[in-house]
Order: sequence, then C-alpha cells, then structure tokens
Amino acid sequence: MKNRIWIIIFSVTVLVCTAVWIGLSFFPSPSKIVGIYQNGSLVEKVDLTAQTGERSIELNGDYGKNIISVTHGRIEMKSADCPDKLCVKHGELKSAGSPIVCLPNRIVIKFENQSGSADAEAGALL
Amino acid sequence: MKQTKTKKLILTAILTAAALVAFTIEAAIPPLTPIYGIKLGIANVFTLFTLYAVGKPYAAAVLFLRITLGSIFTGQLVSFIYSLTGGVLSFLLMLLLRRFFPVKQLWVLSALCAVMHNAGQLAAAMLMTSTVQLIYYLPVLIVSGIIAGVFTGLCAQLVLLRMNTEKLILGG
Ligand SMILES: [Zn+2]
Repeated sequence: MKNRIWIIIFSVTVLVCTAVWIGLSFFPSPSKIVGIYQNGSLVEKVDLTAQTGERSIELNGDYGKNIISVTHGRIEMKSADCPDKLCVKHGELKSAGSPIVCLPNRIVIKFENQSGSADAEAGALL
Repeated sequence: MKQTKTKKLILTAILTAAALVAFTIEAAIPPLTPIYGIKLGIANVFTLFTLYAVGKPYAAAVLFLRITLGSIFTGQLVSFIYSLTGGVLSFLLMLLLRRFFPVKQLWVLSALCAVMHNAGQLAAAMLMTSTVQLIYYLPVLIVSGIIAGVFTGLCAQLVLLRMNTEKLILGG
C-alpha cells in the first residue's frame, strides 16, 4: 500500500480515538458510587455524596502502602509507596472513562454503574 | 561486502548496548502523563534497525536482552511482565509483516507494532489486575502508539536509508 493510504488510515484512527478518549474522560460519571478494587476483587464501595468530612482508606500491596482520601463528592489517591506514583498524579477521580490505577499495588478506583451488580459479577467471573 | 556471523554478532551486541542506553535514559525521564504505557520507546529504533540491517533472530536478541536487562538495571520489575507481553506480541507482528514493508515504509510497520505493543501491555495489565475497565485506556494507547511508532520508525528508516544499509550489510 502507498504511504498516502497509510497516512490517511493513521490520521483517521488518531482522530477517532482522540474523540472517544475525550468523550470518555470529560463526560462526568452519572453515578457517585465508587468501587475500590485490589487484585481484582472489591475492597469497598463508597458513596461520595454520603461522605461528610475527610476519610482515609489505607491499602497495602506488594510495593507498600496506598492512602486513598475521600471527601464529599471527591476521591483521590493521596499518597502511595509505589515506584511510579502515577496513581497519585492522576488526581481526583472524575469520569468513568479514566479510573485511578496503581499497577504496582494492583489497585483500581472507579465509578460503579448505578445498579452496580452487573459490574461486580463481571469482576467476579475473571 | 559479505557479512560473517561474527560480524553480525558483534553488531548485535553493540546495538543491544545502544538500545539499553536509550531505554535507561528514557526510564529516568519522569512520565509526561499519569497513564501507563505512554512513552516514546526510543529503544525500539535499535530493534527495527537490527531487523532490517542484520536479521530476524538478531533483532529478537536485541529486543529480549534489552527488556530483561533494562528491567533489571532500572529496577522496573513491575513493568517487566507488561513490557515482555507487549514486546513478544509486537515482535511477532513485526516478523509476520516484515516482508510487506520495504525500508521506505518502515514507519508504517513501526506504528502498527507500537499499537500492538500497547494493546498487549494493556491486556496484560487487565489480566494482572483483573480489571476489565482498563479497556477505557485503549483509545489513548492507540493514539500514543501510532505517534511514538511513526517517530521511532522514521528514525530507524532515515538512518537505514542514509547508510544504504540494506545493500551494504545484507549484500543487496
Ligand atoms: Zn501507584
């Protein structure tokens, strides 16, 4: 195939994927129920709207301790002992499209579907 | 110019060392985004160069030595399993598609393999954390794979064309 065809294929792919990514990242989650997972299993479900004051959740993994902070309507990874700290740099959990992930300690923080049960079942199957 | 086996081995050793240096330097630079797997992958220039200038088994050596030693040197053992999964899958694709892409289209092969690499890493991460939701990161990893792959592919391609290596080393 000619170079021009590949340039078109790649450009279109980049545009489509960027659009999907932006859509997923900036579309705020309708649900305010957050699931905290470690090693693929649910550790805790938190209703962000029900939270008053600040609360810390500590999780221990292979690479040390992670501290999750929950305040009203907001959840974030406050500190982590993992080598890359990408989970901390992620900041506040804003959309279903970009869960907070700590790969070294295998922690995932993400919005649950309003029903929640379908997700939990899918997780349990894996 | 005939290329002896000894010469190929020496070339492979030098290229592996160069790839390791590139990998180590890149690992020392803090990540631009809080998303796993978004990186330029400069070390891949050397894998691609080896594939076209020396040969398939030698490129495999450069890639797998670099991943193994690089993970040990940089202490990034966490990412070793992801690197390896991505590396194996993208290398298989590279071997499969190599004959369809002459040096002048190396950038295309490189982009396809980079996307494969990122998808493989993501799949490994999904399995390791048992989290299907990581699939959300696929679009951004495809975009970063294409950009990084085109860049590294062009680097290798320009060097190969400048040196006319395909003729020089492979003897036409
Ligand atoms: Zn982390």
